Amino acid sequence: MSEPAVEVKNLTKVFTLGLKKEYVVAIDNLSFEVKAGEVYGLIGPNGSGKSTTMKVVLGLMAPSKGEAKVFGLDSGDIRARNEIGFLPENPYFYKHLSGAETLRFYGKLCGMRGRELENRVTELLKLVDLEGAANRRLGGYSKGMLQRIGLAQSLVQNPRLVILDEPTAGVDPIGSRHIRDLIMRLRDEGYTVFLCSHLLEQVQEVCDRVGILFQGRMRKEGRLEELIAIEDQTTLTLEGASPELLARLHQLVASEPDARIVAEGHPRTSLEHLFIQIAERSREASK
Amino acid sequence: MNADSTAPNPPLRGAARPVPLFSPGRVATIASGTVTQLVRMKTFYFLLAFALVVVAVGNFNLPATPAKELSMIKKVSFGTMDLFAWLFAIVATALLIPRDQEDRTLYTILSKPVRRIEYLLGKLCGVLVVVGVSLVLMYGICATMIGARESLFVSAEIEAMTANGGYSQEEIDEQVGLIRQQGLRPELGLAVLASFLKAAVVAAVTIFLSTFASSSLFTIIVSILIFLIGHAHTMASSFWLHSSDNSLFVQMLVKVVKILIPDFQLYSFSEGIIQGEVVAYALVGQMGLVTAGYLAVFLLLSLLVFVDKEF
Repeated sequence: MSEPAVEVKNLTKVFTLGLKKEYVVAIDNLSFEVKAGEVYGLIGPNGSGKSTTMKVVLGLMAPSKGEAKVFGLDSGDIRARNEIGFLPENPYFYKHLSGAETLRFYGKLCGMRGRELENRVTELLKLVDLEGAANRRLGGYSKGMLQRIGLAQSLVQNPRLVILDEPTAGVDPIGSRHIRDLIMRLRDEGYTVFLCSHLLEQVQEVCDRVGILFQGRMRKEGRLEELIAIEDQTTLTLEGASPELLARLHQLVASEPDARIVAEGHPRTSLEHLFIQIAERSREASK
Repeated sequence: MNADSTAPNPPLRGAARPVPLFSPGRVATIASGTVTQLVRMKTFYFLLAFALVVVAVGNFNLPATPAKELSMIKKVSFGTMDLFAWLFAIVATALLIPRDQEDRTLYTILSKPVRRIEYLLGKLCGVLVVVGVSLVLMYGICATMIGARESLFVSAEIEAMTANGGYSQEEIDEQVGLIRQQGLRPELGLAVLASFLKAAVVAAVTIFLSTFASSSLFTIIVSILIFLIGHAHTMASSFWLHSSDNSLFVQMLVKVVKILIPDFQLYSFSEGIIQGEVVAYALVGQMGLVTAGYLAVFLLLSLLVFVDKEF
């Protein structure tokens, strides 16, 4: 079995507020794994601990308890950063730099130089469809363009793991679609993507697995299709079924005392519905 | 930009790149980014204002001897240069790191394989490059003006003394020597160096403060206070130690202040240079060593705070 891209074990993060020694538990004994090559979505309401989890994985914060590993390396180990590309929420890169200069800047920070760097810059500008704006300063970029150049900078050193915090926040539907397509392309090219988002439909569209975080705890985690399936219902997809066969099926179901046909088709809930349900349950449980 | 038509080879995976303990390349990248940022913030526009000040002072006909007039041009010009250097070092350093944090640019930088000391050093070096280049440019403007005025005063003095006829060659040479002493001399470069080193120390102090301060305004105000106290170092310690209240507490307080606050009076020998005095090069070397010591101490303190800082 291949090494997980991200391995979070019993992670707890406690913040101390001011000098009053008040404590806030941002993450509470959190454990999950992001497998290499998958798109993993971490969803949760504001203040649920998503960004804190990401920051611990990025080494920007130290865990109070537990550990976070990136491809087997402790997240605090600087070598782990070679494996990670990160796009923060609403990134504000240096506005005085152009798109190409921004990519060069981040490439150089990763030790890239000369032709290798220039080729990578050209390739990434093409990938995010910003070749025409390569020499324009970021101060003149739209939000969607900033997100795309942000995504490009996250990929500059060709990391194995890309961490995206709200990658489509504030972006119009077309820009949002573009970013979604890029994420799917990254998955196809073998990158591991770990993202946080509030836009649940988009998470549903791109993620292989999701984790639902609420008040710093993982409330539900698993493959998306399993999570959004209604557990006590079964979908039977038939091909070429005649009306007679369907009639017989109806009769058969009717003969069973506990069974009934709810609907014919694909009974599904949406991820959004599931998320709200879990959030409400968690809120009630915590009262 | 390279527009090679052939498909580029896929770059190495990030993991294949070594991460050295310390990378001067990364420091240089952050420093050059900082220089670009400051230059594109139109920092160098102040040079125009400086040139105007120097030209105005140079052309202001004072009822004084040529030597005094040259001395005044130097005092105003070097005073402005010094003021720019330390004030710019404080303000630029105090603004850059909190701004990176506020804009989340710091997240993307530190999420790359960049050590925190490399980031701090890069920022400091970037500010110092801009201060250094500005000082050199200002010195160029100032030297041009002083040189031009000096030549003018010397020719006028020789012409006047010769026309008068009552002066011997020795007397003329002596008078010209007095003017030249206040004119453009190579030692003036040392005064520029003193301003630069002073700015470097105050920038290191500011970087230390900005690693834990909650606002840029606080950092700027405290840095200026430290800078001012640092100028009264010797005076303050001699006052406290020789006053009637030389209790243990006062002595400890003086020692603590002496340790925590750099002695900016060390750099005041530049005033002597500007006034045409001769300065021992050993003193300049000593000043360089003390500056290196201050930079090392404040960078180390900054790192101690910054290395565990959470964003």
